[in-house]
Amino acid sequence: MSEEVTSPNYWKSLGELARNEEYEKFVEREFPENATELNDQVSRRSFLRVMGASIALAGFAACRRPVQKIMPYSEEPEDIVPGNPLFYASAMPFQDALTGIVVENNEGRPSKVEGNDHHPASKGNTSIFGQGSLLNMYDPDRSRYVRKDGERSSVSAFAEFCSDHFASTDQNIAFVSEANSSITFNRLKEQALETFSNAHWITYEPFGEDHALEGTNIAFGERLRTYNHFGEANVIVSFDDDFLNPAANKNSVEDTKQFTDGRSVSSPEDGMSRFYAIESTFSLTGSNADNRLRIKSGDIELFIYALAAELSQSVSGLEAFNGYSNEFSDHDWIPVLAEELLENRGDSILTVGRDHKPALHATVAAMNAALDNAGETVRYYDVPHIEDQNNQEAFAELAESLNSGDIDTVVLVGTNPAFTAPADLNFPDTLSNAEQVIHLSDYYDETSKLANWHINRAHFLEAWGDGTSYTGTRSIIQPQIEPLYSGISEIEFLNTILTGEESDGFDLVQETWQEYFTSNFQDQWERVLHDGVAEEEEYPTVSVSISDEFNTQVATFISDAQSSDGMELVIRADSTVFDGRYANNGWLQELPKPMTKITWDNVALMSKKTADELGVTEAGLGKSEVEVVSINVDGTTIEIPAWVQPGHADDSITITVGYGREGIGRVANTMGTDTYPLRTTENMFVADNISIEKTNRTYEIACTQDHNTMEGRSLLRHATLQEYREDPNFSTYESSYDAEMPGLSYAEEHGKDRPLSIFNSIDEQEYPADEPQWGMAIDLNACTGCGVCTIACTAENNIPVIGKREVSEGREMHWIRNDRYYDGDVNNPKALHQPVPCMHCELAPCEQVCPVAATTHSDDGMNQMTYNRCIGTRYCANNCPYKVRRFNFFNYTKEFLTTGDDPEIVQMAMNPEVTVRFRGVMEKCTYCVQRVNRAKIETDIETNGETKKPADGSVETACQQACPADAIYFGDLTDSESEVVKAKKNNRNYLLLEELNTRPRTSYLAKLRNPNPKLA
Amino acid sequence: MSTDYQYVPEPKLVKGDHSFGDITDLIAKTPLSPTPKLWYLAFGLANILLLVLLGAIGYLIWEGTGIWGLNNPAGWGWAIINFVWWVGIGHAGTLISAILFLFRQGWRTAINRFAEAMTIFAVMCAGIFPAIHVGRIWVIYWVFPIPNQMAAWPNFSSPLLWDVFAVSTYFTVSLLFWYVGLIPDFATLRDKAKSKVAKISYGIAALGWTGSFRNWWNYEKAYMILAGLATPLVLSVHTIVSFDFAVSVIPGWHSTIFPPYFVAGAIFSGFAMVLTLMLIARKIYGLEDIMNIDIMEKMNLVLLLTGNLVGFAYLTEGFVAWYSGYIYEQGIFWLYVVGPYAWGFWTLMFCNVVTPQFLWIKSIRRNVVATFIISIIVNIGMWFERFMISVASLATDFMPSAWDYYSPTIWDILTYIGTFGLFFTFFLLFLRFLPMVAIAEVKGAMPQADPHNYDENNEFDEAKTEPVVVQQEQTV
Amino acid sequence: MESENKQVYGVLAEFRNPKELVDAANSVRKSGYQDFDTYAPFPIHGMEKAMGIKESPLGWIVLGGALTGMIGALALMIWVMGYEYPMNISGKPFINFPVYVPITFEITVLLSAFAAVFGMLSLNKLPRFNNPLFNVDRFDKASDDGFFVCVEASDDLFAEEKVSQLLRENGALHIETVYDSE
Repeated sequence: MSEEVTSPNYWKSLGELARNEEYEKFVEREFPENATELNDQVSRRSFLRVMGASIALAGFAACRRPVQKIMPYSEEPEDIVPGNPLFYASAMPFQDALTGIVVENNEGRPSKVEGNDHHPASKGNTSIFGQGSLLNMYDPDRSRYVRKDGERSSVSAFAEFCSDHFASTDQNIAFVSEANSSITFNRLKEQALETFSNAHWITYEPFGEDHALEGTNIAFGERLRTYNHFGEANVIVSFDDDFLNPAANKNSVEDTKQFTDGRSVSSPEDGMSRFYAIESTFSLTGSNADNRLRIKSGDIELFIYALAAELSQSVSGLEAFNGYSNEFSDHDWIPVLAEELLENRGDSILTVGRDHKPALHATVAAMNAALDNAGETVRYYDVPHIEDQNNQEAFAELAESLNSGDIDTVVLVGTNPAFTAPADLNFPDTLSNAEQVIHLSDYYDETSKLANWHINRAHFLEAWGDGTSYTGTRSIIQPQIEPLYSGISEIEFLNTILTGEESDGFDLVQETWQEYFTSNFQDQWERVLHDGVAEEEEYPTVSVSISDEFNTQVATFISDAQSSDGMELVIRADSTVFDGRYANNGWLQELPKPMTKITWDNVALMSKKTADELGVTEAGLGKSEVEVVSINVDGTTIEIPAWVQPGHADDSITITVGYGREGIGRVANTMGTDTYPLRTTENMFVADNISIEKTNRTYEIACTQDHNTMEGRSLLRHATLQEYREDPNFSTYESSYDAEMPGLSYAEEHGKDRPLSIFNSIDEQEYPADEPQWGMAIDLNACTGCGVCTIACTAENNIPVIGKREVSEGREMHWIRNDRYYDGDVNNPKALHQPVPCMHCELAPCEQVCPVAATTHSDDGMNQMTYNRCIGTRYCANNCPYKVRRFNFFNYTKEFLTTGDDPEIVQMAMNPEVTVRFRGVMEKCTYCVQRVNRAKIETDIETNGETKKPADGSVETACQQACPADAIYFGDLTDSESEVVKAKKNNRNYLLLEELNTRPRTSYLAKLRNPNPKLA
Repeated sequence: MSTDYQYVPEPKLVKGDHSFGDITDLIAKTPLSPTPKLWYLAFGLANILLLVLLGAIGYLIWEGTGIWGLNNPAGWGWAIINFVWWVGIGHAGTLISAILFLFRQGWRTAINRFAEAMTIFAVMCAGIFPAIHVGRIWVIYWVFPIPNQMAAWPNFSSPLLWDVFAVSTYFTVSLLFWYVGLIPDFATLRDKAKSKVAKISYGIAALGWTGSFRNWWNYEKAYMILAGLATPLVLSVHTIVSFDFAVSVIPGWHSTIFPPYFVAGAIFSGFAMVLTLMLIARKIYGLEDIMNIDIMEKMNLVLLLTGNLVGFAYLTEGFVAWYSGYIYEQGIFWLYVVGPYAWGFWTLMFCNVVTPQFLWIKSIRRNVVATFIISIIVNIGMWFERFMISVASLATDFMPSAWDYYSPTIWDILTYIGTFGLFFTFFLLFLRFLPMVAIAEVKGAMPQADPHNYDENNEFDEAKTEPVVVQQEQTV
Repeated sequence: MESENKQVYGVLAEFRNPKELVDAANSVRKSGYQDFDTYAPFPIHGMEKAMGIKESPLGWIVLGGALTGMIGALALMIWVMGYEYPMNISGKPFINFPVYVPITFEITVLLSAFAAVFGMLSLNKLPRFNNPLFNVDRFDKASDDGFFVCVEASDDLFAEEKVSQLLRENGALHIETVYDSE
């Protein structure tokens, strides 16, 4: 068709003209903007405007109305010093829960997202999605303008349309929105439902909270939000609940912190909680379990009932299960779990996977109540914005009424059902039955293409908003920058529909908050903007009791429950792209999945045994090509690469969704496989009796870890709590290898406590006394392996996205990698996680081999790379025993930062304090030297040159700051009171490859497990 | 009992009955006679390969080292392998011309010129790789201690820097040595040449050499000293190359046996390459009388010796790995044998350890075809040795989590093949325009050259060249 | 053939083989001549005795080169790493002799080699593009299979006839007077 394309004015037939127009639409989609408008977005002048605006919006200044005043730099805003970043509190919405954040803002452009210490759901930390959201905002592929029937239009045009179209308030309107905790949003939602008599509202999330809510509804007769207080529990039992994984738990940051708090051990006297995981796939959470049982997800139900039956003998409330038994009743785990739970009544938590069906949630809720955990370790909140309907059912009904033509207008707020809706609803076609489809979304996505109106949405960093945390703490979302593509937020969108006028998020939010702050509004408003949280108030908690309804229903549960037969398919949200909404985010795509270490793809996970039965081979060293399997569920077939996941349940396949998208953006397109077609209203989570077979096709997977065992090398030292108490020094070289540290006895003869360097004269490093000496300690007992350190480092240090090909070549650029080792039986191993950044060895092997002295030691004891001196022999990387050095084999940064037609946009996401590296130079972890030096300079100034040593805690590395488990300690080793020194004094402290006498400044605290001896 | 010990006379170095004049004509005819068709064909082929090399390097500089198969654990691949391989080959030349000279091995005269030429061209090929394998070739000059506005100097503790000095010194000294040896022969060609161009150009190269004995006197001294310098030099060069590995911490690299083991390997591969080239050249240029079977056998003996030295080194490494109880060293050796690169290891074992054993058999030592095949196999084997050392050790070192598999790209392969283009382009020019045998030295080594072999009528007396048979009585 | 405006350079005699050349050189020296030289396609053993040449000084020149190289290299490295720009590299001492060994050795060898080659050339007064002997056609054999003695006119005892006589007695194949060209 290129003929017609190149000369659109000449066509030989109408047919060609038609195709020609199609093509032009297609062009529109593929190349969102033409050059002039691009420049307009980021040209110098409007750049200043952007800057001025965000300053006006920020903190105090933000309280003048109207705020969107353009401030040219000639009027110096008092609180900005070029070169010094400003930090603004805000919050990140994810489904209907806010996580407090603080955004680093350089000359008016947000460049880094950090957690907000004051916010209960953050406590200063973030999740991988929190870190990744920044790149989402700068995504050049986001939709850049309003479209009517695919043609370019404008917000004002849309407003006109609304004032006309929504004049008739009695039409049948269906609102479909993402889960949203925004107070303003829900206020407008109520308004809408009042205004439009025949409107109904469906909150549609492909991976939502519905089943849990239904569960409490059955168990307690109320739709309540369950909140597990992991920090207070002695015993945690998780049925398929991957609660440490942000993709499976919208409150993962807080829960991770809670979980690790409950397990932190500083001396052999301390106790730690015991965590049992019963699951099919090997989840991130399961890898942190003390005892893990792998069973098919389809059998979890039976297991839960069996446990309930066992408990029913000793506790009241579960009578309905009396006498019930099934194949799991005599499973050795049941009595052990029952015993543990009964011993810890009120101190235990049972939790079941978000996507399991309501019956399971109900039973688990009942068990928690029966064990007196309810109100103690498990709390139930009455969340105002949660409807009384089962939204998944409501959504299915919507599809029906659409088919029967009962719906005139569909308003889709942010969701993308055309991609994510259950396949059997055939949503794309059903949607065509509505007269008007209006869609607000970030991308011109699958649904937008079917809508009459597509409204491009403003990112949460670009627009005013508000909302509540998982537990109900209110925050205000304040924009950090003027919308790059002049999109509008969901509240502005809704208000435009209601009023028919273009609206202003700022006014809407203030209007909402007027209700809360009746007296001196300004001050309170400013305080919230400044702190990022209103106050530590929560949703009302509800004391629950098991309803009779539950006991009657149990009968049907039991009778319906049967053991899973044949091969089962489990469909989960993806660890890095979730339901597909992060598919166009390079940082997240290149972040290795926590367990498989796969990047850029989704695969079908299966156990070794299952793989052998299917004739599927395991990938590994020198083998990145894996077999493709075809999976058939009720006649629908997809083909997807197979991957052996040690510890996966047999006869069970796990796939994740969110991949295989088309026409979304440069990153998302054609990456991975779209697995939604297998997800139907029947099989939202588990499908039984599926057929799967190996095809003769193979597919290359970019996996960052080709070898999974430690080969008997004591790199990641671990013990059970019991062993630790018996031998508190189990993590020393001596007890790890049962041999003396080479050269130690000789050193001791010379009164040294560590092996000497061959140059005795300078055996102890001479560092200037007035300099701080930096060091790091990583607590492997806290680390859950979530990988947020890696992506935080990527964001902080301008690490380029290099793409699947380069990763599969083995050239990943991450400065801190997350090693995952399997330990034990290949079918049912334990997994261990170990983050590995540069060790900053005092006797660094990398330094002496560089022919041009491009890597040397600084006075504050850091191993430094001099990029502009490096000639790229790669000798340093070869000689690094930890293999933490990364080489720019191509001009990665340039390729990354000049992609597409308007590179300036991605460039805005870069951290101005960190050099971007050129082709042919080596790079590696710097201990965030830019932060260290800023702190040193500030201290120097504050103390009038008295000291260069920043106070403990005033320097945080990006990885440390992001880590919700607080697993990373960093500080000055010359300060005996500093956290890092305390950590290093712990008897679990050990050095990686200590025997090489490289004297790493980074050390590890050995991991502990607390398994139940009865299950050993 | 008594045994008769007889001195077994050395076989004649130059076969057939040749006068000084014959020797001159035999060797000088090639440079002075018109170019044969075959030469043009060979030269054409070599040039094509040379262009491949230039193309590959050009693309490398344009795109970056990423076009090679390198990755994160394996930062060094074919480039370094080829570097070590070519340098190793070079060593034979210097060894023959210097060490055998000091040991008064007359038979070296037949091949030393030839071998030295090979050395120089091999070192040229080798030198390319360290230069182009760096990420930013345009600042490669930073490795030289040149005063600069950054006040930045190279790091003299880096083995890579030692390499820079070792290899460049080695190249320069070899070149000087070679040229000094050529001066009298240039004079011969100058005097033999008919065409004016040849006369003038050879004349310039000869620096006005007359054959004056007073000159010969200083000349021999200089040659002796150069030989004395080149001997430790040649040993030092591969020692320093081995430091690139031995000085590091990587298991499979960090080993004190490397220097002697590398030198032995270098001589091993070098002699193999000399044999390969010699056996071709003697055929084409009809030099069977000079590069004769006796010399081939002597070289085969060196091959046998060094081959077994190398084999012994492998054994020692394995033993040390086991005996040290150092798990990483043990790990790497286990991976050599059964790991992802086991195929490379076994190829190397066959080529370097098994093949040379055939040379215990005299008939094979004296068999041209067999020798030719063995020489080629040995060179393949030595390439694989370097492959195992560089890549296998790197790709699977301390941290199993970082292990990765290295496989070359087409560009690695083209670059390697290309260097043969460079090598043969120069070698063919050498064969065409320079005397491939040291004329003066061969003459000097002929019995007629020794005044003592003349009778009272000043006539050459064959009998005098035969040494006296010494009768010894020995009683036990 | 010889004309008046040509100056005698010396008398050149050819001999059959090395043996005769050595004997000839012997008797020439015995007859007290100093400025003479023998020419052969290869160095002949025992000729130095026959001509009474003393040890070549080349060794000392090379020693000079060697010392320059060694001291220079060490000085550079010590100055750079110890004083000019000291850096903490792998926590090793700034002045660290073991690592200086290889480079010191290489530079020593390099400068020695230069000294040897250029020393030799200068001792031999080479390169030299013109030599009166080249005017003699048969002298071309000197690089092939000719053995020559040339007694030079610069010698005090030089007298064309006497020299020719002496050489003839030693069995010269051919005797010829060599003239300097203008």
